[in-house]
Amino acid sequence: MFMLHYCTGCGAIELPPAMTSRFDMERLGIQPMVTPRQADILLITGYVSIKTLKRVILTYEQMSSPKYVIGICSCTVNGGMYWQSYATAKKLSDYMPVDLYIAGCMPRPEAVISGMRTLMENIRTGKADNWKDYYQRYDHYLGNQQGLFGEKWQTPTDVIAEADHYGLSGPGTRGEHTELLLQHQKPLEALEMRLGLSGKTVEVES
Amino acid sequence: MNEEVALTPTLKAVLSEFDGLRYRYTSARRLRVDLPSDALPAMLELLQGRAGYAHLSAISCVDWPDDGDFELVYHVWSYTHQNLVSAHIRIPRDPGVYLSVYDLYQPAGFFERDIHEMFGVYFEGSPDMEKFILTEWDGPPPMRKEFDSEGFVNDHFTWQEYRPEWLEEIEEQGGGITTRPEDIRL
Repeated sequence: MFMLHYCTGCGAIELPPAMTSRFDMERLGIQPMVTPRQADILLITGYVSIKTLKRVILTYEQMSSPKYVIGICSCTVNGGMYWQSYATAKKLSDYMPVDLYIAGCMPRPEAVISGMRTLMENIRTGKADNWKDYYQRYDHYLGNQQGLFGEKWQTPTDVIAEADHYGLSGPGTRGEHTELLLQHQKPLEALEMRLGLSGKTVEVES
Repeated sequence: MNEEVALTPTLKAVLSEFDGLRYRYTSARRLRVDLPSDALPAMLELLQGRAGYAHLSAISCVDWPDDGDFELVYHVWSYTHQNLVSAHIRIPRDPGVYLSVYDLYQPAGFFERDIHEMFGVYFEGSPDMEKFILTEWDGPPPMRKEFDSEGFVNDHFTWQEYRPEWLEEIEEQGGGITTRPEDIRL
């Protein structure tokens, strides 16, 4: 399992001991990965501020399926000690499907590894398939995201097209919130490329 | 009160330029100065230019809704005297506008932008009063005292049932939660 450990909040501090010689996660087949596009697991290691949540969603949508999300620490469950804060998201599963929560403030490396092994078991037995839920109920997740980021919210990933492409669209893929998205969605275009030579620019035909 | 305080000659020269000052040492290296708000830019200029207070450590803001005031505190540090001057001013909460000191201390731009976001104080002449950390925010400035953070959270977020195994184990033995947060909330 390749985990992208995108560090939010404080729980990430428990991962270096889990990864390195003391607990050595690698012997159990768990390794960190540097890019979301090659990672299987997104670890959310603590509170997610609204600003960070945007980045988390962008990261999640870049990962290739099948993908799994683990919410580590109490903050991802219900806001944790920041439950009263106006600036942090409370329930991570409102915005993306979460396969496993590891509660604690913060969970020790043993708990993290034990949670990972539970996830491995769930994957083996086919129980962990929440990534499909993101395609099947995209309208629900998008609605919650729009509630925080405003109606103009758009990610570079066309989730609806992906859902259709993989045959995973369900009755909840489209809805009132995706209608709202379609009204202002800008299609993605390749960035313009220019070559320059001593101050002159040369147009490149695409 | 003012006479009892031993000041360095440069600091004494600066402070004697102004009327209506009150100052006292709050600790060995920390001088608190209370002054009228219109005197602050001139005093910072003298502190920086004549007394060697080169570093603006922070600008902090305190909301006093009962007095109808914002209190702005400018912390300036001198590397030569190893001394911090905290200059306290009060400005009226409404309209909540004050002058920027960006021309004297460039770091002030960040502090002023932050205070503008959190308290809604507008600084005239500050280079950038755009959103800073709360990029998605469209509510009232959240660090004003009248902002109800808990009410905001209850309006904007949902909660999930959370019944950990350890609690179920305790409840099986006849125990459970004896004091709930809502019982002791002020």
